[in-house]
Amino acid sequence: MRITLNRRPVDVPDELADEPLLFLLRDHLGLNGPRFGCGVGSCGACTVVIDGQAERSCIQPATAAQGREVLTLEGLAGAGGLHPFQRAWIEESVPQCGYCQNGQIMTVFALLAAQPDAGAADIKAAMDGVLCRCGTQPRIRRAIARARALAAGDA
Amino acid sequence: MPRLSRRRVLAALGWGAAGITAVAGGAFALMPTLPPRRPPTPGDAAAWLSLRPDGVFELLSSRAEMGQGISIGMRQVAADELGVGIDRIRLVQPDTGLIPVARSTVGSDAMRETGPLVARAAAALAVAILREAARRLQRPAGDLRLAPDGVMDGDALVLAFDDLGAAGPLFVTEGEVAAATPRLLADPSGRREVGRARPTHDVEAIVTGSRPLYTDDVRLPGMVFGAVVRPRTLGGRIRAIDASACAAVPGFLGLHRDGAFAGLVASRRSALARAMEVLAVDEAEGAAVDSASLAAMVDVSAAVGGLEHGVLDDGDLGDDPFDVDLTLAVPLAAHASIEPRTAVARFGDDGGLEVWTGTQDPFFVRDSLADAFGLSRAQVVVHGMRIGGGFGARTIVAAEMEAARLAKLCGRPVKVQWSRSDEFRAGFHRAPSSHRIRLSADAAGRITRWHHAFRSGHVIFTSAAMGPGLQFATGFVADPGVARGAVPAYAASAARVAFEDVRLPVMTGPWRGLGAAANHWAIETAVDALARAKGLDPLDLRLRSIAPEHVRLRAVLAAAADMAGWPVRPKDRPDEGWGLACGIYKEMSFAATVARVTRTAAGYKVTGLWCAHDCGLVVNPDQVRAQVEGNLVWGIGMALKEELAVGGGRILPESFFDYPLPVLSDVPDIEVRLIEGSPQPTGAGETAIVSGTAAVTNAIAAMTGRTVTALPVGRA
Ligand code: FES
Ligand code: FES
Repeated sequence: MRITLNRRPVDVPDELADEPLLFLLRDHLGLNGPRFGCGVGSCGACTVVIDGQAERSCIQPATAAQGREVLTLEGLAGAGGLHPFQRAWIEESVPQCGYCQNGQIMTVFALLAAQPDAGAADIKAAMDGVLCRCGTQPRIRRAIARARALAAGDA
Repeated sequence: MPRLSRRRVLAALGWGAAGITAVAGGAFALMPTLPPRRPPTPGDAAAWLSLRPDGVFELLSSRAEMGQGISIGMRQVAADELGVGIDRIRLVQPDTGLIPVARSTVGSDAMRETGPLVARAAAALAVAILREAARRLQRPAGDLRLAPDGVMDGDALVLAFDDLGAAGPLFVTEGEVAAATPRLLADPSGRREVGRARPTHDVEAIVTGSRPLYTDDVRLPGMVFGAVVRPRTLGGRIRAIDASACAAVPGFLGLHRDGAFAGLVASRRSALARAMEVLAVDEAEGAAVDSASLAAMVDVSAAVGGLEHGVLDDGDLGDDPFDVDLTLAVPLAAHASIEPRTAVARFGDDGGLEVWTGTQDPFFVRDSLADAFGLSRAQVVVHGMRIGGGFGARTIVAAEMEAARLAKLCGRPVKVQWSRSDEFRAGFHRAPSSHRIRLSADAAGRITRWHHAFRSGHVIFTSAAMGPGLQFATGFVADPGVARGAVPAYAASAARVAFEDVRLPVMTGPWRGLGAAANHWAIETAVDALARAKGLDPLDLRLRSIAPEHVRLRAVLAAAADMAGWPVRPKDRPDEGWGLACGIYKEMSFAATVARVTRTAAGYKVTGLWCAHDCGLVVNPDQVRAQVEGNLVWGIGMALKEELAVGGGRILPESFFDYPLPVLSDVPDIEVRLIEGSPQPTGAGETAIVSGTAAVTNAIAAMTGRTVTALPVGRA
């Protein structure tokens, strides 16, 4: 089985086909970005982007990524340096413990990549399910606005 | 209850070991390993800071980083004291073999306790460097000064830091730290880093995933995954386990038992959940407690006779009826950190044990593991990792012991990561409590009589870390965690505060703010109700009644009211209300919050929050603001959402689907004003929670005309 992980082809041993994608990425491919928070799709900490769509990797089998493009937090930065969302997250000093922030960044990244003019209701629909216990919500909102401004400036 | 002739305030004892030994006496031998409690000394600080051969100052942190920002704050303090840029301070989260024993990261005291010592160590190191430079250059030290890249003489760099460190790391002695006079504390004009907003340490790695930060990022050669088989019911006991069906699960390696302990080991993480599903467990179920029976166990109106522990007993309450008489209920609630408890354990060929874990108390973990496995303390090394949310949950030994036991039993390094249902079922929680508050005020709107009686599950003397012997021994001692925040900031000519701690069949323990979160909600709810009963503005009643010595509390209250435009706020109406609350945390930090709450079809929604906060010297305003915001979001959760439901003898939630937390659209923009009312830092990690919850429920009361008497408030 083969997936494209952060723009590189990766071979996955067949016996891991039914491993949850999160564990494949973390335990077998050594990634740190997607994180385990609940394992049942209830927090969003494990979010990755598959073919442009934000997915909770803890409830996707590895086969769900077969032949598809998986983007993780590690793949967000490009040749030009940090992605606008990563820059905005630093500039707005969003993370406290930081554990949830993979899910926050990847979810809003996928939303705005697919729907650049997403409104408040779209953001609420996508982001209310990505939990943060530290209480960074006001800063997440500010960072989203800043990233959009950065992206607009870059364009 | 015997009447006390004078004000008696319980000392916040941390774990209160002194209290235990005083009462337990001969029970000492039964005591388990106790957490280290000694505050840090100049001798400790001498081991924290050194100039390394690469010309960078290495600062070994004695406190855990869990998002409260202590790491970046310590770097800022050291950078200023040395007069160098922050990038020249390398912060290392050391393992327990590298620094003297340090106490746990609790009670919002990391910066207060360690910040001034880091400054002194840095001041001592600055002197030592100049002395060393003078010796090498054969010049008087008085001609030399420290600059960002090394030692200067006039405008010339005469010795770079990497040259200075080249011969080996440069340390200072205990005596030098003790004698040092940090200039920062004396002279604010020398500050460049202290007072500057900076994001949390490791922020780049957090937003890129570029390197390991948390325990789950630790991967050892040959490592396998483990999970503990637990009773499903509270107080349940496993009688028998049949793992024969697990053999068919790919990756399953085995079931290991040792007395009552049982755990599964697998080469793949998915195998653990699958094996758990097919495992046949015969359990002797515990008693069928539920949320209602827990509430009844702490119900203050069910107490017979006086409550056991007096906090305050001044003047005569008399027999007149009170202006308000409220009974208030706070339910069981979870920490719900997004990172579940996780530990990796490995036994070495020499019999030593290494453990990686995100813990608030690495030395307690080390000592507990050493005692459990019959090892010396030097044979156990604990690597403290960044914690994905602490809030008091990581103060005891949990996944660490499980990983070590499984590593011992299976002979390989083991990672144990709790499932989300483990977190709810096997973790400990905020104790439920019940409060009766009776208050009266005079015609001028000053509080005259104060009576607060409350009962609560344990906080510091948590059953999660204490066996039956110690539970018995501490049964006679006032739990200082339950009492925290119970002394009112209001002056009353007659005041009585008393409480009782109740041993519950669920595990309870420290949760953000300890008892102060619940006690202050109760106090500030009652004060608001008193204002309503007297027809007074809740701000005026508070300003008239706050005890004269609490000048800083008045200041934050006035500031919050000013920020929110309290005096000119719109009139409360059925779909919008404004609430206010304030409080003092640990007698040293102050917060006041105004909340605006709107009623919508979906329920109550907090639409504005303004908080004025005084935790003394602010090393990093950005991190302090983040703590204030976090506490206020916890206040929203506590007020509107959080209850850990119990039914049929089980903790019911299994995931976040069943335990709602505040989400993005529940949280308004938050305006914070920081006031530096003392030259020392006094702690921000738990302060604002004393005001956040009641500000929200008081806003609801303003809107409905009915006091909120039970948390959480459900749908409108
Ligand atoms: S870990 Fe996947 S949603 Fe929580
Ligand atoms: S930053 Fe800690 S959970 Fe979001």
